[in-house]
Amino acid sequence: MTEVNNALSPHGGTLVDRVLGPAEGREKAKQARIKLPLEGSRATEIMSIAHGFFSPVKGFMGHKDVDSVCKDMRLASGYIWGIPIVFDISEGEIKEKGIKEGDTLLFTYQDQPFATLDLEEIFSYDRTLMAEKVYGTTEDKHPGVKRTYAYKDKFLGGDVTIINQPKINPPFDKYWYPPKVLRQKMAETGWERVVAHQTRNVPHTGHEWLMKGAWFASNADAILVSCVVGEKRAGDYIDEAIVLTHDELGKTGYFKEGTHLTSILLWDMRYAGPREAIFHAIVRKNLGCTHHMFGRDHAGVGSYYSPYAAHEIFEQVPDLGIGSVLTLEWWYCPVCGEVTYSGLCGHDKEQQGFSGTVIRSIIQDGVKPPRLIFRPEVFDLVMEAGDKYGFGSPFVTEEYLAKRNPVISVPPMEV
Amino acid sequence: MAETYPINIWINEERLEKLQQAGLADMAQEAFAGLKKLPVPTNEQQRDAVLQKFPMAKYDSATTKSIELLPRDAKDRIFDLVVEKKTLDVIDAFLASTI
Repeated sequence: MTEVNNALSPHGGTLVDRVLGPAEGREKAKQARIKLPLEGSRATEIMSIAHGFFSPVKGFMGHKDVDSVCKDMRLASGYIWGIPIVFDISEGEIKEKGIKEGDTLLFTYQDQPFATLDLEEIFSYDRTLMAEKVYGTTEDKHPGVKRTYAYKDKFLGGDVTIINQPKINPPFDKYWYPPKVLRQKMAETGWERVVAHQTRNVPHTGHEWLMKGAWFASNADAILVSCVVGEKRAGDYIDEAIVLTHDELGKTGYFKEGTHLTSILLWDMRYAGPREAIFHAIVRKNLGCTHHMFGRDHAGVGSYYSPYAAHEIFEQVPDLGIGSVLTLEWWYCPVCGEVTYSGLCGHDKEQQGFSGTVIRSIIQDGVKPPRLIFRPEVFDLVMEAGDKYGFGSPFVTEEYLAKRNPVISVPPMEV
Repeated sequence: MAETYPINIWINEERLEKLQQAGLADMAQEAFAGLKKLPVPTNEQQRDAVLQKFPMAKYDSATTKSIELLPRDAKDRIFDLVVEKKTLDVIDAFLASTI
């Protein structure tokens, strides 16, 4: 295995930037002989790759990278990496379109030219092996395994380039900070130490204290809330509610101005537990963060991983150049009369634990949670977001999935 | 005693009033920070039947050890059965009434 410096920031030492301006984009698109329409999550994944969130990954992985990531949790170049980034396609579609190695493919999205793939390799990979290595299980009840088994029989590997820059739609536009932009903003603001908080939840005060605790623990200048915007399941909070409520905590002073920034990461959660924790750490390092907070059940699902598996994994990898703030739960203690840290509060028997699931359940019952548990401003905004973006519900419904506003829109382009 | 898996019905003013009118206000328990809940017990078979009939519901095994995220109309029906029958032992009746 090649010895590399995994502590470099960005990961691998260079920030990937594969977004062309309109004139260059048109020229690049002209090289393409074959058009392939994309579904939404593919398009957003290309956005993350091309804007450098996944540096040093420049495209969809080839066989060597996939095999190395699955078996050794490293790219073929030697850099640590947790999750294969792949583009699956059927053998039939390859034949039908006449796709071959060496081609430049034009990806269209929303019927417009969007990106290209410089196709280096067409290959197969054992999906059961991929599932077992990445997720630690072959059970298709695991959503990441289910996704892996749903991959078609072939994969395309090669670098991607955005040739027609999409518009990020409101309300997400204000929170779109690609690594280059965010690094510049951090430098201008004078932030030298920034701790990342990964979320796919509307914040309750347990989350708020996790962030505040991480800020203390890392002696940070600021907290970067990195909201995962991607594939949703019925019953989840709608993306708009998650992003807007996190921002609201800053606007309403629960975090002082200049200490808190809300941003989005376009990514479909894989629920890969410890491996996804590694992936999250690298992505937030690429954004310019110096620390990343990891709590209980980070990126986990069901009982596939131990509650603190994402803590343990960092003992098994070299220095990633981003400090891990490993934290236990915050709970409500009626004796202390406050939300308090489980590692310090001695009232184990009296504590009243609460979770994101419980808060969702309370809101779903039409009940306003107490302000010590859920900020009233956050509650009001959750309900408002439901009315404005969720067809009357702050939770994902079939109607939301079918009719929601897209996160990105590709403008018309003549090629 | 066999383990039970409660369905927590969260108590708002309207539900509290109904419980008080039925003389059942004592059934509501403190959940946290002043919020009250009505924990309606299920046994293992009932829990599994509820989760099967309502795939959006979730058994929170990590924190509260309770069934959460049942749709509101289902919870309303369970709550109404409790008030009507003046007992928390209503899950069989609830499941029987659910197609």
